[in-house]
Amino acid sequence: MSAAQQDTRRLPPSGRDHAFAGAIRHSRRVRFFKIALPVLSLLIAIGFAGYSWLLTPASVVIAVDGSAIRDGKIVMANPKMNGFTSNNLPYSMNAARAIQELTRTGAIELEEIDARFPIAADRWATIRAEAGVYDDETNVLRITSPITLTTSDGLQADLGPSEVDIAAGELRSPSPVRIEQGGSTISADSLEVLDKGTVFVFENRVRMQVDPRTVNGVGDRAEMQDAGQ
Amino acid sequence: QQTQSNFGGLKISGDQPIQIESDKLEVRDTDGVAIFTGNVNVVQGPTLMRAGRMTVYYAKGAAGGAGAGAAASATPGSGNIDKLEVDGKVYVKSETQVATADKATFDMGTEILVMTGNEVVLTDGPNVIVGCRLTVRMGTGEATLDGCGKGGQQDKGGRVKMLLQPKATQ
Repeated sequence: MSAAQQDTRRLPPSGRDHAFAGAIRHSRRVRFFKIALPVLSLLIAIGFAGYSWLLTPASVVIAVDGSAIRDGKIVMANPKMNGFTSNNLPYSMNAARAIQELTRTGAIELEEIDARFPIAADRWATIRAEAGVYDDETNVLRITSPITLTTSDGLQADLGPSEVDIAAGELRSPSPVRIEQGGSTISADSLEVLDKGTVFVFENRVRMQVDPRTVNGVGDRAEMQDAGQ
Repeated sequence: QQTQSNFGGLKISGDQPIQIESDKLEVRDTDGVAIFTGNVNVVQGPTLMRAGRMTVYYAKGAAGGAGAGAAASATPGSGNIDKLEVDGKVYVKSETQVATADKATFDMGTEILVMTGNEVVLTDGPNVIVGCRLTVRMGTGEATLDGCGKGGQQDKGGRVKMLLQPKATQ
């Protein structure tokens, strides 16, 4: 017999009542924990999800207008995320909605993405896309819809679904891409942007069209039209 | 000795649209270089050039655009290119003349195209001239073909082989 049982038998009647009371207290405690523990774990899960969303790379600040929990997901209204790339230039990523599974942290679904990330100290690119998934552990944004990318110096790019490694300033777009700037266009079946946006690799059926008039006359294009060339 | 001929057709004029096709294009913005590789095909008006690879060097600082932007502005005819280097079996064709060589360089500043190789062949209608170094002033279209020197094919003064079709000599 376990020690407890021996004790009760040897105890005088009042001892037995005392032990019995102990047992009741014990079961009440058990009942309490039976409820408390799941609630506690739920709270921890939410906390952890929120915490990991907030934590992400240390230098990321996140503002969320409002959030709600609906069928096991946190839905955040227009989240705004600002951070710094590896050569500490600022980037920002906003979305209409961010949805994060309670159970699966790290993958945050974003809708109507509007991201802005630096190419050089004085040049940046903005990315607009319908939908994507942001992995805050690897700081990679996987965009699942067509993308329009524009840069501060007048470049306009239409890409298909792509993967953007924000911190490293890299982009991989395996589907057809078309880039236009100042009268020149480049199209290809795929594009990779590497080394912090300084190396562009176009592959398969690369075609570049240049209209030197607009490229040379980089000035005001309208004025070119008036010149009636 | 040298052979003068008017390679009139071959002009990369500054104002005609140009189309470049290739299997791959790599733009290295910081190095100021755009490298077209694989079935490179450049067309401007009647002038056509084919090669295995074409490297466009654009003037430092002038490009400044984002990578692709730099590529867009790093093309023949646009303001800020330094020079083009073409290799891997170069074939250049204009309305009347065809030139083939192993390598070609085109300096945008001086507008001089230099084609070199073990056998640089310049065909003008039925006439065929073979040498080792063809220099074409794109502005005037004036072409000079140097023969292959006794030593390497680069030095001047070698013999030029010329095949003239009698009917062709007006």
